[in-house]
Amino acid sequence: MSKRRLFKGGDIASEDNAKLARADVLVEGERITKIAPNIVAPQDCEVIDCTGKILLPALFDIHVHSREPGQEQKETIHSCSEAAINGGVTGFVMMPNTVPAIDSAGVVKTVLESAKNCRIPVFTTGAITKGREGKELAAIGAMKAAGAVMITDDGFPVSNPVVLRRAMEYARDFGLIVASHCETMELSGKGSMHEGSVSYSLGLEGIPAISEEICLDRDIRIGQYTGAHIHIQHVTTARGMNTIRRFKEEGVKVTCEVAPHHLIFNHEDVGDYDTAYKMNPPLRTKEDNAALLQGLIDGVFDVIATDHAPHTPFEKNNDFASAPFGITGLETALPSLYHYFIASGKFGWNVIVKRYSAEPRRIIGLKPVPIIEGGVAEFIVFNPNATTTFTKEFMRSKSVNTPFLDKTLKGSVEVVVLNGEILLSR
Amino acid sequence: MTPRKDLLDIQSLTDEEIDFILSNAVPFKNLFKRSVKKVPTLRGRTVLTLFYEPSTRTRSSFEVAASRLGADVINFTVSESSVVKGESVLDTVSTLEAMRTDFVVVRHGKSGIPNLIAKHTTASVINAGDGFHSHPTQALLDVFTLKEVFGGDVRGARIAFVGDIQHSRVARSTNLLCRRMGMNTAMLAPGSMIPRDTPKEVALFQHWDQLFAWKPDVIYLLRVQMERQNVPFFPNIGEYHCIYGLTDARLDEVKKSGTWVMHPGPVNRGVELNDAVMNYERCLIDQQVENGIAVRMSVLYWLKPGSLIEETKV
Repeated sequence: MSKRRLFKGGDIASEDNAKLARADVLVEGERITKIAPNIVAPQDCEVIDCTGKILLPALFDIHVHSREPGQEQKETIHSCSEAAINGGVTGFVMMPNTVPAIDSAGVVKTVLESAKNCRIPVFTTGAITKGREGKELAAIGAMKAAGAVMITDDGFPVSNPVVLRRAMEYARDFGLIVASHCETMELSGKGSMHEGSVSYSLGLEGIPAISEEICLDRDIRIGQYTGAHIHIQHVTTARGMNTIRRFKEEGVKVTCEVAPHHLIFNHEDVGDYDTAYKMNPPLRTKEDNAALLQGLIDGVFDVIATDHAPHTPFEKNNDFASAPFGITGLETALPSLYHYFIASGKFGWNVIVKRYSAEPRRIIGLKPVPIIEGGVAEFIVFNPNATTTFTKEFMRSKSVNTPFLDKTLKGSVEVVVLNGEILLSR
Repeated sequence: MTPRKDLLDIQSLTDEEIDFILSNAVPFKNLFKRSVKKVPTLRGRTVLTLFYEPSTRTRSSFEVAASRLGADVINFTVSESSVVKGESVLDTVSTLEAMRTDFVVVRHGKSGIPNLIAKHTTASVINAGDGFHSHPTQALLDVFTLKEVFGGDVRGARIAFVGDIQHSRVARSTNLLCRRMGMNTAMLAPGSMIPRDTPKEVALFQHWDQLFAWKPDVIYLLRVQMERQNVPFFPNIGEYHCIYGLTDARLDEVKKSGTWVMHPGPVNRGVELNDAVMNYERCLIDQQVENGIAVRMSVLYWLKPGSLIEETKV
């Protein structure tokens, strides 16, 4: 007989309703068999008290750097998957900027083989160009056949528009989404943070907003021209977001993502050259924070994605210009979004469910995992009344390069369920 | 005044600290008139100069200042090879830490390196110029010089920075300190060399005639940093000199109004200025150099209590 678990007294979140629904959830085997008020626990049933807690469909992240192969000192696919579980994420998509790059069917197979050791499903992108050099097309068709779900040169743009055009025309017929890291490399130059008042006073070379906006505009136009599905990664500026909004209104096949850190932080947080706030694209301004938040609420952003980018303390403990770009995010995303936005009523749980659980799965062709009778039991129990302190010991990622290190946020991911199995319980 | 460990930038200095440093530089400067210019204030202490960027002036100014205070001065030469070998700045710092020096004077081409070093050493760190960020002792010596020129009170005086503002830590920190002292500041440079985010209170000019109309009391010329330019910021030296340099004709204008001229050195003749400027009696370049020693002595003296406190803890 399969294992039974009754989650009692929780409030269930769904993507289409800002209101939570209080009900008990009975899980038998892999599936949710009953959702009703006051279910009487059947025999041989573990009862999990969820009073005052939120049950929400487990999260899915389409932008993760798991660093394998080649940079296992930062992260492995396995450590990355454990970090994901720690944050309530039960599936993610790896970026191809590994060493070597994931740019052939062989490497795709290798990483997917390694991912079989994980307790959650892990997906991979493939590179658009060989070695992510922006010159020759990678074996897009073969990578698709090997299991790649998306192509991108993430970390770099495809600077040459002809190469991007060909890639889009080619990928379109394989039903692959082309994901774009938008940056005009010449304009970014040696910049290490947003070009603005803070880069001025810190004497750091800046990455101007137009570096991102020009490339974003160009890439969507190429997408429109070729008819490919283009996905814009980590949008950071109000202008860039409004460009996407306009193209969406025109019916262009464009989707986009926003990272929690671009909603929460801005360039002023860099403070005294704190490399935990260095990432690419960089933190922009307070005004951009507000605009992006409104964009998320309005539905301009299809998904939230963390751009989880682990780096070792040795690498990050450097001067600001020399330290690598990127911060981790899988473990902190949900508590940070709860702490800064949901707890203060900026948006409801439905936004999280839609943008960080349902839509990311749909984008790569998976089914969402709503908490419904007959559905797969893939959800998390979140305690809004607890707190989480992100100590080194708490983190499952091999790296701790996050602005939240040793900080405490409201909320705690207490239980993670996948296919009826409990992956995490605290 | 709470003792402080480091001097990293101008922003973090309190008014009281600025006043302390500037007023104590006066007696130090008076020492220079004596035949014995040395005092025993820092006897037994070690000052280490760690320069990742070539600099003769600033380095020797610190060396003279430290030795006049009786400290032992050590040049730590950062060999290119150890940098190439992948030794990080922090590796070097742990070496220095083991040497137990009292002061580390740092110059580096990257902004924020002194801040990073200061976090990882118990020695007092003095920023001797980092990237485009800050050059606090330059700002202090500049303002000290201005106070001498204006009889102690610089409030309301007008200073204009001319040249490569974009790549100048001097423009950033001296401008900041001048404004804190109540001066009016302006900048003149090609549009490509003015940072977009220059504070709004600073008057920005595109032509010398606009600058002259502003009636500056002081013109502060900046070195054009040819070596920093991977993408050209202006067409060529000749054009720069004609349009933005202090040419002989402009020098006549400067002389007529009795405007003072400053420059952090080293100068580029035929670029930002002409030879004739060097002989102008209101050119303050040499005075800046002399004051640099006095002000740096004062900075070392000011930071001294910090290391004494460390000692009593042990």
